[in-house]
Amino acid sequence: MTHTLEFGGERLQLHPWGALFWERESLLLVSDLHLGKITHFRKHGAAVPLKALHRNFARLDGLCEAFAPERICFLGDLFHSHMNREWALFESWARQCPCDLELVVGNHDIISPLRYEALGVTCSETLEKGPFLLTHHPLENHEGFNISGHIHPAVRLKGTGRQHLRLPCFYLNGRQMILPAFGAFTGSHVMEPQPGDRIYALADSQIIPLKEPTREMR
Amino acid sequence: MKNNSSKEQLISRATRWFHGQGWEPFPFQKKTWEAFLDGKHGLLNAPTGSGKTYALWFPILLQYLREHPDSRETIPGGLKAVWITPLRALSQEIRQSAERITRDLDLPFTVGIRTGDTSQAERARQRKKMPDLLITTPESLQLLLATKGYDKTFKSCYAIVVDEWHELLGSKRGVQMELALSRLKTVSPSLRIWGISATIGNLQQAREVLLGPGSEALQQSVLIRAHLPKKITVKSLLPEKMETFPWRGHLGLHLLDAVIPVIKDSKTTLIFTNTRSQCEIWFQKILEREPGLAGEIAMHHGSINKETRLWVEQAIREERLKAVVCTSSLDLGVDFAPVETVVQIGGPKGVARFLQRAGRSGHRPGEESLIYFLPTHAIELVEAAALQRTVEGEGVEDRMPYLNSFDVLVQYLTTLAVSNGFYPEAVFEEVSRTFCYQGMTRDQWEWILNFLVLGSQSLQSYDEYKKVEVLEDGRFKVTNRGVAMRHRFQIGTIVGDADLTVRYQKGGYIGTIEEWFISKLRRGDVFTFAGRNLEFIRIRDMQVLVQKSSKKTAKVPSWMGGRLTLSAQMSELLRQELYSAALPPEKQSLEIRSLAPLFERQQWESIVPGPGEFLIETFRTREGFHHLFYPFEGRFVHEAMASLLSYRISLLSPITFSLAYNDYGFELLSDKELDMQMVLDNDLFTAEYLMEDLQKSLNSTEMARRKFRDIAVISGLVFTGYPKKGIKMKHLQSNSQLLFDVFRDYEPEHLLYQQAFRETFEHQLEEGRLRLALERIASQQVIWKPCEKPTPFSFPIITDRLREKLSSEKLADRIQRMTRILTRQRRR
Repeated sequence: MTHTLEFGGERLQLHPWGALFWERESLLLVSDLHLGKITHFRKHGAAVPLKALHRNFARLDGLCEAFAPERICFLGDLFHSHMNREWALFESWARQCPCDLELVVGNHDIISPLRYEALGVTCSETLEKGPFLLTHHPLENHEGFNISGHIHPAVRLKGTGRQHLRLPCFYLNGRQMILPAFGAFTGSHVMEPQPGDRIYALADSQIIPLKEPTREMR
Repeated sequence: MKNNSSKEQLISRATRWFHGQGWEPFPFQKKTWEAFLDGKHGLLNAPTGSGKTYALWFPILLQYLREHPDSRETIPGGLKAVWITPLRALSQEIRQSAERITRDLDLPFTVGIRTGDTSQAERARQRKKMPDLLITTPESLQLLLATKGYDKTFKSCYAIVVDEWHELLGSKRGVQMELALSRLKTVSPSLRIWGISATIGNLQQAREVLLGPGSEALQQSVLIRAHLPKKITVKSLLPEKMETFPWRGHLGLHLLDAVIPVIKDSKTTLIFTNTRSQCEIWFQKILEREPGLAGEIAMHHGSINKETRLWVEQAIREERLKAVVCTSSLDLGVDFAPVETVVQIGGPKGVARFLQRAGRSGHRPGEESLIYFLPTHAIELVEAAALQRTVEGEGVEDRMPYLNSFDVLVQYLTTLAVSNGFYPEAVFEEVSRTFCYQGMTRDQWEWILNFLVLGSQSLQSYDEYKKVEVLEDGRFKVTNRGVAMRHRFQIGTIVGDADLTVRYQKGGYIGTIEEWFISKLRRGDVFTFAGRNLEFIRIRDMQVLVQKSSKKTAKVPSWMGGRLTLSAQMSELLRQELYSAALPPEKQSLEIRSLAPLFERQQWESIVPGPGEFLIETFRTREGFHHLFYPFEGRFVHEAMASLLSYRISLLSPITFSLAYNDYGFELLSDKELDMQMVLDNDLFTAEYLMEDLQKSLNSTEMARRKFRDIAVISGLVFTGYPKKGIKMKHLQSNSQLLFDVFRDYEPEHLLYQQAFRETFEHQLEEGRLRLALERIASQQVIWKPCEKPTPFSFPIITDRLREKLSSEKLADRIQRMTRILTRQRRR
């Protein structure tokens, strides 16, 4: 179940797996897959379950089926570290994927752009699309609208009866939108929301818009 | 065999030595000498300070003299005997007693120590030439097994003593010992295995675990009991005015003034606290109240650096200190004759532990031990009364050994693969004869081997898993240097939070502190550590840099490991004391009498339950709806019961609970009101389907998730880095929580994931005790009291912050009702 919102004058759909679909441009945005992380750990003797690394591709396929996007843009940290055999899995996925693929390079993306380009994945530092500037790191002091990743945002909620929850989320701060991490085995970072911020929590198969945060009295 | 000295001659040599000191050997010492010299294995049950080290060092040395009657001949090189101690603090003491005998017997043996504190240079020297006698810890022993050629090192070893076996038995370090012994039985052909244990309920089982069930060693073994009578007196320190006595609070500082005279009137006083933070605060406060004690009072706990700890221990022996505030770090063995008085702050939560602490005073066989008990809150006074009755009777708890700890097995097999490599068939034979793995199936063993080699159960072409390889000759071996290095760093089963080193910015090591505490600090914050007020500057290279601060108030680190729980016997005694509240005052203990104002208040707000009554209280506060239950069965049982009951309730309708428990009862807190009548009508306390329901409730709570944390570290799934060596491996550090989720979603059949649930079940929830408790409740009359406000009994529970949660609601429904988004606390 997606949630539709208006941002920068455009209608955007948020998907509970942490992807964003922009229908008018037929563009699917996902951030921070960290492919290769599981293999990196396994290579060093830490046996993270292998099955987990297939989730990333299964979910990408699922999204392609649901939205049939013309293009997919990765907002950085697509590959976790140096080359390893998970690359081959990515390669075969990319070859069979009917969409155009683009990568906005993130701090983890140390694999040569030549390899991406050989696969038909265009690489760039930033990307301008309509009103949006797409980047990996959230931009500070940017005049226009910015969509980014990098942070792996999450939010902590508190309720009566000493209840607490921690949920990954889409994070909207003025003209800036930060996507949650899409990859399996990636973790998250708890944000400190300020009045005016808007937060869309990922709750199993739903996106839930949260009430606007208010400053707490102490 | 050259048998010039008969057994009798050898024993008379030991006896002469005793007479030379002006002592007479105890019968248990003589029995141990004889049994050892007869070639027996065994378990010696003797308390601290009874001369147990002489009971075993002597026959070890006599055995050598028997085989080498001419002590002037040069001593052949190689290890002769190993003494295992669970605490490094004890190693000095053990070495001194060994050296005393070797000197007097004119036997020029070298005695070495190898623990986490041993320097690199010393280790290297030992590698080249092992001392004749080695004193070490279970972890360091594992490290020796991770060294190439360890089989040659241990070949000549003919004795191993596992001291304080009761401390190891109920922990994974005990499993580590079982595995090490299973290997040594093969590589050291003439090995004799001896354990030393304080009194616990399951001594026979302790011997079986040490020697291996059904083993030849077990058949050839003895259990020797010291039977030393020791008189222990417990005295409660009572507040003058009960009205002001706090309902909860773990510090007990309101009784500071009662402790000062105890210190002044005694030569040396040990003040035991239950947590390191409590230790820090008490030390500070005593000094503030009695500045004259400066220089005569010290502190001892596990996070303080070794030099300081050793200094404190030496100073106690030399009678230079009036008082030492300490934690369980001083619980074991060290012989401190000058200690006259022991003060226990807060409930010790276990009879064996309390007896051991009491035994620290009047530390000579036959002398009377006096222990002062200082309750930290009103209800603990009930505990004090129960303790007095305990020491009069002789109730002690069991230590439950672990079964099928696959995490420790994975670690052990990797250890063997790092050093010499291993052949699975031979090692399977050894491992399956240990107590821990006696029930392991062939399939499980194959699973473990696959896990080591493939990192999974089937080979995938794209996988790059690298750890243990199978060589051409069938040997399992680690060939990758990085894997070997990381494994050596990680050996050891005591796991907690990552420890960071605390240093002055200008240099100077102070101690180690847990990462989670430091992560809450910001630059400029002042905290108390090692008795000093320190200002936090920053973290660099896994080191916490600080400078001295003159600020008075400061944060005090508290340690997560600090919680203890009541044993079954203590719970029983506690209930009896509590029920005596209904008796006429002359039939009550002093402690219960002095609690009269609290009981009156409880009776006014609710009731004080009698033996045939099971009390339930409900009330509402700003926090939500509180539902309290008082079985008085101890924390573990309450944890299980809270989990069980909340699970059963959650089946009736979607609800979310926050659970809290202490030794007296438990709470289910919710944002909705429970229909208590419905809970009672549905017979939710039934013992039927207990196992099934409990198991299912585990999936809804986070207990197993917490257990998994240790399992992930021990089995090498998570690498913690090695802060003390300044080695950062951030790219390999992951979070066990994240990993738990990945297993849950993708490989729930994984043996290590399953182990987390099994351990929670076997070690935390104590099904047997729970069943008995439920049966007792079934025979009681339920009294449900809707109350206006929190009662004295409820207060310590509802204010507890360490909580479990359970929910049967949809995530989305819960989020809708969440009122606030949490922002982290800002700096003022």
